[in-house]
Amino acid sequence: MTTRPMPADSRPEHIDAILAGLDRYNPETVSTFQDYVQYQCENRTYDALANLALLKLGVVKDEHSSQRFLLPERGSNAPQHEANTTVFLNLTTRIAIAFSFPVVMVYQFNPHLTKEETITNILVKALTIFPSPDFSLCLHLLPPNILDAATATDALSDAVRKLTTLNELIESGSYREFWVAYESDDLYADLVADCAGFEDTMRDAIALQISMIAREVSKELAQGWLNVSAEDLPEVITRLGWTIEGDKVKLPINKENEAKTTVFRENVQFNQFHNVIRRGFEQAV
Amino acid sequence: MMNGGVSRLAHEDDSDDEVLATTLVEAMQEDEGDYDDVSVSGGIQVTGDDLQARLAAAATPLEFQAGLPARFQSYDNYCSLFHFILNSDGPVDLELPTYYWAWDVIDEFIYQFNSFCTYRQRVAKKAQNEEEIQILRENPQTWGCYSVLNVLYSLIQRSHMNEQLAAIKAGQDPNEVAGEYGSRPLYRMLGYFSIIGLLRVHCLLGDFTLALKTLDDIELNKKAVFAKVMAAHFTTYYYVGFSYMMLRRYADAIRTFSHILVYVSRTKNFQKNSQFDSITKKNDQMYALMAICVALCPVRLDDTIHATLREKYGDQFTRMQRGGPESLPIFEELFLSACPKFISPIPPDFDNPENNVDPSQHHLKVFMNDVNNTISTPVLKSYLKLYTTMDINKLAKFVETDAETLRKQLIVYKQKNRQLRWTEGSLLEGELMHTSDLDFALQGDIVHVSEAKVGRRLVDWYLRNLQRAY
Repeated sequence: MTTRPMPADSRPEHIDAILAGLDRYNPETVSTFQDYVQYQCENRTYDALANLALLKLGVVKDEHSSQRFLLPERGSNAPQHEANTTVFLNLTTRIAIAFSFPVVMVYQFNPHLTKEETITNILVKALTIFPSPDFSLCLHLLPPNILDAATATDALSDAVRKLTTLNELIESGSYREFWVAYESDDLYADLVADCAGFEDTMRDAIALQISMIAREVSKELAQGWLNVSAEDLPEVITRLGWTIEGDKVKLPINKENEAKTTVFRENVQFNQFHNVIRRGFEQAV
Repeated sequence: MMNGGVSRLAHEDDSDDEVLATTLVEAMQEDEGDYDDVSVSGGIQVTGDDLQARLAAAATPLEFQAGLPARFQSYDNYCSLFHFILNSDGPVDLELPTYYWAWDVIDEFIYQFNSFCTYRQRVAKKAQNEEEIQILRENPQTWGCYSVLNVLYSLIQRSHMNEQLAAIKAGQDPNEVAGEYGSRPLYRMLGYFSIIGLLRVHCLLGDFTLALKTLDDIELNKKAVFAKVMAAHFTTYYYVGFSYMMLRRYADAIRTFSHILVYVSRTKNFQKNSQFDSITKKNDQMYALMAICVALCPVRLDDTIHATLREKYGDQFTRMQRGGPESLPIFEELFLSACPKFISPIPPDFDNPENNVDPSQHHLKVFMNDVNNTISTPVLKSYLKLYTTMDINKLAKFVETDAETLRKQLIVYKQKNRQLRWTEGSLLEGELMHTSDLDFALQGDIVHVSEAKVGRRLVDWYLRNLQRAY
């Protein structure tokens, strides 16, 4: 199942404009994207496409960044560059650049240059919208050895691996184990600190999954899955619109948990009888 | 619903026979062209026309064993050629050697980029050839991802290709937005195939979402321009299918692979030529990917496809369908044999050879997370099918696990049973649909199983008999 809590039309216009054009590769947009991730964290929204674009994008301070080239049709709104550095396809440096922005590298290419918190924040946000595959899609964009504990020993790789563990638990439906793992390491609290209401968001997302598979669960199970104490359970249950009966938690019936056997009836269109009816008229005449 | 998918598939395959025929004729004409091409590039500069020779050379495959100097040389050649095409004063007036030349150039350009990256990765990992390491270290920009993306984007932009395609979609005349460059066949074809090239490059870099988004303006069907060049047709579907698979939209991946595989199986008798040989390998790869997808998301397949799948990967397919931990190595094996040669986006770390993990291994690892999860569902489904209500402990015994693990498997089953499925619009869009007709709900420890059945179809029968009554 995939959820898109952030439909494209509620994306701020300036972000949309960047994503639609070539500016998605422009290093000058990095800070805009970073602010936008921050905004998502604070406002509990989520925008997969923008975050994936940021993971690709980064600034390079490399020796070639002074080599620029202007394409005529984009010249008007592009940043002004020094004319004398406009060398396209200078064969001695072998750079083929035809955009109107400096030689930039996709973030993918230069892992050490973008803010680490932004990356972990994006991953944390992607966690909250399980079971959609966004977390994995982000992982695909990170450096190939990031999951390899033997060679990638930096703090970022370590944090990414920690979050991956959480993701594996949540994706395999091991909700109780997810909370246990989450609380077992203080690092997690640091990682999710920027993301407002992380625990509540996860709890609600898990509750949604429960409501899809069950009409009734034991109190004990619900407590483990939602990670709430016995005293707090009634409050949470009420907030979710569920009810407690004895040692059971009852969930209202919805489309997903009714599990009703349905028979698809044939959909008969009037057009199918077109010929029959015409025939009837023809014979009458 | 599953049945909806099957019927749509059948419909797709039955239509467009006419288009299929024209494409075939063209494919055969192309074949003749192929030999001309070889003779041109074989006898160097026969025509004496330097430019024509360069154009032909750009579309000529680099030798597999080519060393670094040849690869650098080739990069320079591409640079000067694209520089000439993009940055001359105004559009270049060129006669194309062949009309599918544009595809060959883009294809070969990306292929060389890909193989250069693989080569560089290998040199860095072995860390033996000091001389090559030194050259590569000093030239990080040669065959850089950014340069390649740049060329592709520039070609698209120059030709106003996205605007043209949008106009075609809206039923307007593309020439109105084509501009000075885009109205010429050279730029139009290069621009168009650059979009397909971008799909491929994004996929090779692991950005599967953007890969599919690139095709926003292209409609995937047999009438599309790329369908006129067999290799382009084939490549497009391979990368689209693969991207869908990585997005876990297995039903869409299967639909995509089926479409092209059916097409190939129908036309293979007409295509006994070199172009066809080159796609045989990709063909097998797609069957392997198809086997993976079907094992993860069982759907009914086209009969020919199913038969060929069994023939090629029968043993592996059965074992993957059976699931369980012993099937995991098979998933890995098939994935690695069938995935594109992924590119590591960063230049390799020459100082620490052990840091250069093969990007395929990284993508495999991430992909296997999902396989690990999904692998229990086929078995579970086979038991659910037999009952309408059942105690969870009893079911746990059947699938040889405990109630707690089973609950997790049920949660996963439910989630995997709902997949985004493309219906219309851009490739990334889709509606949430059930992939299986079996569903369930838990009531305490009782599992209630439900099934979505298709009722009898009466109208056809009724109409047929009515006809007979006249």
